[in-house]
Amino acid sequence: MTSPVTTAPLTPTRAPAETSTIAQTWALSVRSIQSLLRQPSLIVPSLIFPLFFAALGTSSFSRATGLPGFPAVDSYLDFALAGAIVQGILFGSTTGATALATDIENGFFDRLLASPSTRTGIIVGRMAGGMAYGAFQTLFFVLVLLPFGLSIKGGIGGVVGLMVSGTILALAIGALMSAMALLTGSAEAVQGAFPLLFIALFFSSAFFPRETMSGIYGTMADFNPVSHLVEGMRDLVIEGVSASALARAILVPAALAVVSIALSLRALRHRLGAS
Amino acid sequence: MSETALPIVAEGLQRYFGSGDNIVKAVDGVDLQIQPGEIFGFLGPNGAGKSTTVRMLTTLLRPTGGKGRVAGFDIVSEADSVRRNIGVALQDAAIDPLMTGTELLRLQAVLYGLPKAQHHQRAGELLERVGLTAAGGRRVGTYSGGMRRRLDLALSLIHEPSVLFLDEPTTGLDPMSRISLWEEIRRLNNDGTTVLLTTQYLEEADQLAERIAIIDHGVIVRKGRPTELKAEVGSPTLFVTVDESTHQIATGLLAKFGELRPSPEGSLGVGLHEGPSAVSNVVRELDDAGITVRNLELREPSLDDVFAEATGYRLEGAES
Repeated sequence: MTSPVTTAPLTPTRAPAETSTIAQTWALSVRSIQSLLRQPSLIVPSLIFPLFFAALGTSSFSRATGLPGFPAVDSYLDFALAGAIVQGILFGSTTGATALATDIENGFFDRLLASPSTRTGIIVGRMAGGMAYGAFQTLFFVLVLLPFGLSIKGGIGGVVGLMVSGTILALAIGALMSAMALLTGSAEAVQGAFPLLFIALFFSSAFFPRETMSGIYGTMADFNPVSHLVEGMRDLVIEGVSASALARAILVPAALAVVSIALSLRALRHRLGAS
Repeated sequence: MSETALPIVAEGLQRYFGSGDNIVKAVDGVDLQIQPGEIFGFLGPNGAGKSTTVRMLTTLLRPTGGKGRVAGFDIVSEADSVRRNIGVALQDAAIDPLMTGTELLRLQAVLYGLPKAQHHQRAGELLERVGLTAAGGRRVGTYSGGMRRRLDLALSLIHEPSVLFLDEPTTGLDPMSRISLWEEIRRLNNDGTTVLLTTQYLEEADQLAERIAIIDHGVIVRKGRPTELKAEVGSPTLFVTVDESTHQIATGLLAKFGELRPSPEGSLGVGLHEGPSAVSNVVRELDDAGITVRNLELREPSLDDVFAEATGYRLEGAES
């Protein structure tokens, strides 16, 4: 029973003893971005809808910028950018998690798990793809809206701050929705959970400043982390780079990310043990 | 040979789902000793526990109880080493439809840690091997069922595994695709790869496997070489066609060799108690009695009979 395996008459395999986790994670990230790009019907909404909302807001609410409590902005667009970015990333990250659920549904996830790649590499690859897409979305919204009168007080530094914030948010939401994907193994369940994210977005200061809200709506927006995140990002746009703005724009999604990564790792362990 | 040297060993492997009154014993104590270079067929209907057993042996599912060793490594405590040494093609050709065949092979090459310099060559070789060279640049979503299975097989061979798990590799395929996949599996086996394949097709198990296990309700009910299992079921049937006028005498003579069995119109059937060796005696007796034998057919019990005897029912659509 204790005879060493090397004496066994098995054909030796050529796989080296250690495989590179970095190379694996990178290849899986590339794959997740590729598969996103190959489904235009999935990425188009995550790029177009936020712009649509921003355009609609700018044409309808341009006079609202004069309301008491509204920050001093040159254009509603400056105000709307942060909300558009967050909205776009909510869409985009859900797409990534849906792809994970689809992998689970069609069995490709099992093929990955049956390979010697590390468990975390498989999940991180997915997340890294989503993060890259989040950074791209942020830059895309900024570049598209610039010709329409968007001005960013924070300048290049502000844009970089927005991109870091967007990237971390993509990780946080991606991990949260992936936890859902891992728990249920169903793309439909992931998509079904998406409206909850939208409720979180609408009950925040993404489209109107909290100062203009009252009652239960205002209270919910006060407690909603999305409000604080959006306001941090917005301050980078309309006030410039400050420690307070950066802290809210980055620490809020980072805290969310810590929680949601913990959740998705738990969900992964559950899936590996039970299914 | 010591057990650690065997490519696949299972001892009392169990997997239960649920708990309390709702417990489902998907696999309830499976023992396997698969020899190097063997094609072992795991035969059973849907839900019998074939896939659950394969998922445990390929480290995708933790056993509730029992032990397993694959390629010399424990499936729980040395799961990573198991994964390095096995090739796995799971049910329904699980591949991402958005990627091309070449991309999938290259991703697989990275996941199995092949040196980068080999990726291109290896992907090309494997595509050629399974006859997909022309389709390598196309997205898998455009492939036919047979092409997907062949690509799936190629993916599982990227690191030249010594042990290959194929979970229902031909389910849903047309006969031509099935035969071409069988040929590929035989070729791999000739090159020394040990293959465990699950199937719900009797013919597939009969054609490919040197030994089979029939699993039903999570328990192995028969195990052995197809020929031996068939022999265990009972004696072969001899069908004899003689002239109408000599039927009565012939029937009396045949009855000496075993019980008479139902036979097609115009012929007589007898279960040979002494097996195929009795045929020459039957012919001699008939000849001595002056009876002319027009036709003679010896039919062995089929795997279908083995299955029916072991489980009490016949697999749907089973070939006789």
